[in-house]
Amino acid sequence: VKAILKIALGIIAALGGFLDIGDLVFNTQAGALFRYDLLWAVVLGTIGIAVYAEMSGRVAAVTRRPVFDVIRMRLGFGLGLVALVASTIVNLLTIAAELGGLAIILQLLFDAEFSLFVVLAAIGLVVVVALLPFGGIERVFGYCGLIVIVFVATAIHQQPDWNDVARGFVPSLSTSWLYLYFVVGVFAAALMPYEVHFYSSGAVEERWDESSLKENRLNAAVGYALGGLLACALVVVSGYLFHPLGVRPDDLGTVALPAQGAFGETGLLLALGGMMFCVGGAAIDSSFSASYNLAQFLGWEWGRYRGPKKAPRFTFSWLVFLFLAMLIVLTGVNPVEITEYSVVFAVVALPMTYLPVLMIAGDRSFMGEHANGLISRTLGWIYFALIVVLAIAAVPLLLATNGGGG
Amino acid sequence: MRSRRRRRPGLAAFAAALGVSSILLSGCGDLSRDELNRGVESLSALAAQGELIANGVARDATKSTYARVMAKTLGGEAEHEAEKLADAEPSPEVKEERNAAVQVAGELADLFSELQTFPGDEHHGALVEGHMGEIKEQADAIVARLTGEPAQ
Repeated sequence: VKAILKIALGIIAALGGFLDIGDLVFNTQAGALFRYDLLWAVVLGTIGIAVYAEMSGRVAAVTRRPVFDVIRMRLGFGLGLVALVASTIVNLLTIAAELGGLAIILQLLFDAEFSLFVVLAAIGLVVVVALLPFGGIERVFGYCGLIVIVFVATAIHQQPDWNDVARGFVPSLSTSWLYLYFVVGVFAAALMPYEVHFYSSGAVEERWDESSLKENRLNAAVGYALGGLLACALVVVSGYLFHPLGVRPDDLGTVALPAQGAFGETGLLLALGGMMFCVGGAAIDSSFSASYNLAQFLGWEWGRYRGPKKAPRFTFSWLVFLFLAMLIVLTGVNPVEITEYSVVFAVVALPMTYLPVLMIAGDRSFMGEHANGLISRTLGWIYFALIVVLAIAAVPLLLATNGGGG
Repeated sequence: MRSRRRRRPGLAAFAAALGVSSILLSGCGDLSRDELNRGVESLSALAAQGELIANGVARDATKSTYARVMAKTLGGEAEHEAEKLADAEPSPEVKEERNAAVQVAGELADLFSELQTFPGDEHHGALVEGHMGEIKEQADAIVARLTGEPAQ
């Protein structure tokens, strides 16, 4: 019973922690612009992150090595350094976007100066991380983030034409640059590199071993699948409400409007509350990832479980990343714009994150009997090819569409 | 190959001058039909969002801090759009539509300002909701005139 409960809790944490500001922004905008047409891209991205999270969790459980350790080992110092710089820039942008998003949500709930909430949000995150153990952080944000299930209830309440919704799951391509830009955005938002960095480092933090492989598989398969359901719900509610009105949700607050339309103030509060925990959790995940990467690459002691005394450079770098992100947001740049750029630039860094994972996970000399089987190997390489294509296309699409502005 | 390039500095200079001029000129040309159309579509989208927020206020189905902050943000966007349109030099064939768009943007900003002042007042919410709908219709009518397609 204890084992089942542990697995169930892990799934719930993965589900609640699936959405971040990138998912909230890109999926809602995708629905507003293209109605249900991009649901297939959400599913594609969800399968991709499930495949690679499972692989990185398995590698961590079997070899006790997190992703960036693997990257350094496989790519060597030079290319590894390139990967470190690229992922650090993307992570810093992501932390800034999440922190800014958290401040926007707090402002919508309590109406005071934005800059005040940016500082309070950063302090709040430091306090939470100082007080809670790693598992506690993961579960608090995972469980509370689950409140965004209100978007699934909203979709059901709206009663859209489910045949139209179902047609959205059939892949379709268009010659529209904007459509292609959003395919890349929706896909990349699901596959942000920090997610696997955090997932695999978290596996080491929680001292996973070979007995944790079942939990890893279920977390990745069921947790991410249900997380994908939440992402699809965002597309559906936005497609139903915003698309016919021509609304372009460029503000994070707009994401919560459909829940207000369906369930009034309660719906609005649930949506904002759930978003707050999702975005807050992602701020912690992405800031931890930035420090994990740096520490693992440079061979420092790392891990929340070690505490500041045993891992001082890891802890200090985490505080520095959070501080730098706070400074970025305090310059007044729109967090939603930072999100769009961080997601698109993340695509460019994706191959350097996922190729080493794919290679190590398939290496029998490292993984023994737990090396990739036929399905993992095939899916892994298909997704890697897709990631490379999107990495090449991402920046030209960003420029051609004026950052998604059309 | 390298030496041939060196012998033709004029070509590089011409290309650079062309690039710089096109960048500079792109900022000071007439407001085209397409640009105006995009601006008015943004206004229509803002009005639609305003209508949804005002509907929440009218039904007492929102949180006043949310309505106030959203009204402030969207009102700022409407104001920015109004200034952009007013500052731009329209090409002669769209001058009338440009003027109408500036007026719509100004009215929209005023409505958001009213919503920001009374985010918990159901009566005001209902009034603003109605006016937002009218503003959206006006914006859609301008788009229809610009594109030649019937208003949605």
